[in-house]
Amino acid sequence: MMKKSDIRLGRAFDTTVTYLLLLLVAFVFFFPCLWLILASFSSSGSIYSFRGFFPSGYSTESFKKLFTDTAMYDYPKWFGNSLFIATMSCIFGTLLTILTAYCMSRFRFKSRKALMKTTLVLGMFPSFMGMTAVYLLMTQFNFINNHWGLILIYTAGAPLGYMVQKGFFDSIPSSIDEAARLDGATNFQVFCKIHLPLSMPMIVYTALTSFTWPWSDYILPKLLLKTKDTWTVAVGLMSLGETEFSRFAAGSIFIAVPIVILYLFLAKHLISGNVAGAVKE
Amino acid sequence: MPRNISALIAHILVLAALLTTFGCMSLKRDDSEGQSKFNGELERNVTLRILENDTAKEKGYFKELLDAFNAAYAEYGIVAVDANMDQYTDLEQDGPYGYGPDVLYQANDALMKYTDGKHIQPIPVEQLDCYRQISEEAWNAYTVQVNGENYVFGVPVNIQGPLLYYRKDLLPENWETQWDRDKNGVPDMTEYWTELYAYSKEIREKSNGAKFGYMKSLFDTYFSSGFLFSYGGYVFGQGGTDTSDIGFSAGEARRGAHVLRQLASAMNQDCIDDTVTVNAYSMLGNGTYFATMTTPDVYTLFVDELAKEYMRTQDLSEADAYAKAEENLVAADIPKLPASGDLEDRDGETVDSVMMGGINGYAVSAYTKAPNAALAFVDFATSFEMISRRNELLGVAPARADVAEKVGGLSETINANLEAGHIAVMPSTRAVAQIWTPTQTFFSDLAKDPFRLPDEQKYLSDEALQKGLETVDEQIYSAIHTLN
Repeated sequence: MMKKSDIRLGRAFDTTVTYLLLLLVAFVFFFPCLWLILASFSSSGSIYSFRGFFPSGYSTESFKKLFTDTAMYDYPKWFGNSLFIATMSCIFGTLLTILTAYCMSRFRFKSRKALMKTTLVLGMFPSFMGMTAVYLLMTQFNFINNHWGLILIYTAGAPLGYMVQKGFFDSIPSSIDEAARLDGATNFQVFCKIHLPLSMPMIVYTALTSFTWPWSDYILPKLLLKTKDTWTVAVGLMSLGETEFSRFAAGSIFIAVPIVILYLFLAKHLISGNVAGAVKE
Repeated sequence: MPRNISALIAHILVLAALLTTFGCMSLKRDDSEGQSKFNGELERNVTLRILENDTAKEKGYFKELLDAFNAAYAEYGIVAVDANMDQYTDLEQDGPYGYGPDVLYQANDALMKYTDGKHIQPIPVEQLDCYRQISEEAWNAYTVQVNGENYVFGVPVNIQGPLLYYRKDLLPENWETQWDRDKNGVPDMTEYWTELYAYSKEIREKSNGAKFGYMKSLFDTYFSSGFLFSYGGYVFGQGGTDTSDIGFSAGEARRGAHVLRQLASAMNQDCIDDTVTVNAYSMLGNGTYFATMTTPDVYTLFVDELAKEYMRTQDLSEADAYAKAEENLVAADIPKLPASGDLEDRDGETVDSVMMGGINGYAVSAYTKAPNAALAFVDFATSFEMISRRNELLGVAPARADVAEKVGGLSETINANLEAGHIAVMPSTRAVAQIWTPTQTFFSDLAKDPFRLPDEQKYLSDEALQKGLETVDEQIYSAIHTLN
């Protein structure tokens, strides 16, 4: 039999090692972020005037320049463009994904299995494979230099990743639907009044992923947006000159702001939804 | 929704998808594209989209040019605007669909690759004001021979030839007595590579490796291949047109490779990749480097960084800092090389450096709806006044001889270098795209060599250097001709 003091010592050792490991992993992941944040406040503007890893002087000049010196690099405009494209893609993409997942989960129709397999296979191909075709199509629709072209692509592509959402709907007992229908509810009412409230965590998850993809995408905007006033932040930042590192760092830091805000607002739905789901099971 | 309505919508969607697909498949070029459309009659009430480089925009030159042109052509309703695109926009990709600019300013190798697909059109250059003021060598960069006839596809604006940039205030105090053996009032380390090498080693030794003399990314073909050309190497034979004759190993080019290896030994490992290219502005500014080599168009970027450094460290006002930076930053002609190819040979014969260069210029898109107005813009932008102003604001070396003569100094030297064959203009052929990877791989390997362990060094003999260069030639040949 182990003594109580031995057990306590063992637990303390275990806790210490666990925390040390966690701290180490946290440091490994956090250090690049910390470095980028500090670099964005570098007073020299250049990565090469650092003292060791960190800037030799600090100032907020890069952030000021980011929003005021817009003659060559119009960051506020790019930011607005990214926000518009990501928000619209998020709204329409979430709607389509949830509807697709719901249909696949709840309805039985001809070719359902074939359709599911096809979408699964299609989803395996990287999106840039169809770049040439996408470019040609967009030129025909006059969607070059047009944000709606990008929104269309992001929105149309979003439902292909419906599998996770379908899995969630599958976990909601169909007896609930049957009970509602017995009470006279239509399909639409079942979806709106029963499934949507129960699926809040999944909707939030879908919205977050639908927002972050267009928000950080580089390849498609680079392909379709030719004039600088239509560029998104990702394309714009990549065009910064060789001596503009601090501005690049400041722009990269600021780009995280909408995602953080979105996460803070939606996080509670993610958690409460999970709990609600657990209780209902 | 009733089933038949769903089916109808589904069929309409499928039909729309099919029509779009076939619509795209049947995209075809207008047969008249590429043919000369310059009839001398100015199109009225048109907007020209002009693609310029970022430095011209940043320094305000482009706005001046547009304002002046728009005022001059207001009576015709011709308006020139900034195409507002990336300066490296690919006309080949965007032009056919109507999204490219009408007039483009790019380097000759970038512009001339568009001739293959007839994306730019031949220009009646004899009609232009600048025609007689530009040297034959510069026009050659834009000339293509078809069925025995010459067609000119671009108008040279400025000559991009490398220059040596150094900090006058970092010269040793005793340079006039110790580093000016020919007593011509010019520091020897800016005149001869042998002296610059010796001075670089001295700086590095005295600073314990914290500071350097000459620093450059040696993997960069644009700047390093000149060392091979100075000893008889070349890109393609027949004046850059015969892509079956690749000459990086020709003549005594291995001597140039030996010089590069020696230069690397006086640098640090940053010379292996593009680190020095990116950090040279700051490092020359803060005094870590004494000198580097680059093109005239980035002069203002070096001045900006040096002025910032003076403002930070010496508490100078912006105006004083810029004045001091302009005084201390010197752009000089490329130093002479030792004929023996050995940088330790300080007393031997020297040869002139031949460096790779380019001619930046204007071209007119084949897709422009207003070719005559576009030509009028090119004529206006290459006029004596506008080229003089361009030189004044951007510090570039003008291709117009009259402007070069007026401003004198390096502009005149670069023009003279071009005429004397000391600038080997990048061949204006698509095949030039295949030279970069093999040469960069070799130069990178060569720059790495002095940092390897003694028994692992690869390029210690002439034979090894020659073999390395011949491999480069073979790789380029394979890249160009294997699938043709």
